Amino acid sequence: MQPEWMAPWLWTLILAVVKTIVVIAFVSLNAAVLIWLERKVSGHMQNRVGPLRVGGPAGILQSVADIIKLLAKEDFVPQRGDRWIWWLAPSVAFAPAFLVFWVLPFGPHLVVEDFNVGLIFITAVTSFTLLSIFMAGWGSNDKYSLIGAMRAGAQLFSYEIPMAMALVAVALATGTLNLTAIVEKQRHMWLIVPQILAFLVFYISSVAELNRTPFDLAEAESELVAGYHTEYSGIRWSMFFFAEYTNLLTSSALAAILFLGGWHGPWLPGWAWLLIKTYLLVFVGMWIRWTLPRVRIDQLMDLGWKFLLPVSLVNIAATGLYLVVVR
Amino acid sequence: MSLVQQLARTAATMAKGHLVTLRELFRKPMTIHYPDEPVPHPVGFRSIPVLKVNEESGKLNCTACGLCARSCPPAIIFVESFIGEDGRRKQWPAKFDLDLSRCMVCNLCVEACPFDALEMSEDAELSAYTIEDLYFTMDELAALWKTSRSVRIAGGQKV
Repeated sequence: MQPEWMAPWLWTLILAVVKTIVVIAFVSLNAAVLIWLERKVSGHMQNRVGPLRVGGPAGILQSVADIIKLLAKEDFVPQRGDRWIWWLAPSVAFAPAFLVFWVLPFGPHLVVEDFNVGLIFITAVTSFTLLSIFMAGWGSNDKYSLIGAMRAGAQLFSYEIPMAMALVAVALATGTLNLTAIVEKQRHMWLIVPQILAFLVFYISSVAELNRTPFDLAEAESELVAGYHTEYSGIRWSMFFFAEYTNLLTSSALAAILFLGGWHGPWLPGWAWLLIKTYLLVFVGMWIRWTLPRVRIDQLMDLGWKFLLPVSLVNIAATGLYLVVVR
Repeated sequence: MSLVQQLARTAATMAKGHLVTLRELFRKPMTIHYPDEPVPHPVGFRSIPVLKVNEESGKLNCTACGLCARSCPPAIIFVESFIGEDGRRKQWPAKFDLDLSRCMVCNLCVEACPFDALEMSEDAELSAYTIEDLYFTMDELAALWKTSRSVRIAGGQKV
């Protein structure tokens, strides 16, 4: 595809810019749609109608109106906060959400970067969310933000481990760390069938990593105002919001790729199957959010350390035993 | 309780809760789209007092006796009787004004009226942008009576 006259570095640069723009466009559109969907789902689950007036019969353009409103809002900066850290935190929150997209395979050749160590890359990059939350909490110089950030730190740290252990079981079962290869191995049987425990551990941990109800202790409205983003307003606040919904999409897409056979499916093209599975899991996430109440902090820690971690370790042992004995 | 029992109970209760929310998701919302859809008022719901018109003669029932103005707790009814050319007070009003911005919708004026000239209207959509627009004159009150359904606290139908 590369033209003769063009220097290789220029071609690489152009490709990188185009890929970035495509991914950012998709991520932003998706976040806008997911915010609308969340409000619609929550509304109907509570016998309300949700957004209705802006754009079309179902209020689908509500997010566009919200974005315009948020852009026009005052940009409040806490006076005694740590200004640089405070300014950088929303960008740091958005970066990992967006970086994970680079390794997600949407089809056999539909992937931005086909990393050989995609699984490790994902576990490494998603941990950055914790950094951004702590930057926001520290930079705000506000008790609610700091308490929320400390809770988020404890929570994300605790659930990173069972999640990584679930991914270890996946790597054991498929024998590869490359996401494209993992999906290819599921051609005949989805990984959720032999690895149902790993799937459950992964899904519960990812809900906890996303700071969503029932694990939304980091931004518990009834006790912490809004947690780590209490002091944020306008466009910076909306970047946290965007990151949250992008993380929801990536974790759902990751679950679909690792456990639900990725792009495999009859009739429809691969990317369509992946999107269907992903949005189904996104809906399940919203369903959980609007059903279960928030857990207590000690219950949260108990679930992570005393239940999910042993279960995932047992699962690794069972998978290893199976591989040794059967093969 | 053993761990297995506890797990089974947790799974069962979680499934139950999720089924409830899923059922509500597909149920028709209870929302009434108010300005587009009318909201039915409960029986006895009342708004401001309006002036009744005798349908045969086309004149007001009001005789300008002023009992409503005297019974009005916030004193917002302003009645003046008509003065004829002979200089005598006539039995109909020259002025019957009502300041809705201070009306407390207590119904006492209707109860005080000996001539069945006042009635509480059911039309509550009377909001305005200025306080001056909430000042109703005699003709406006009579017109309101014609367009709106009326309420009788003691029962009975509008005639």
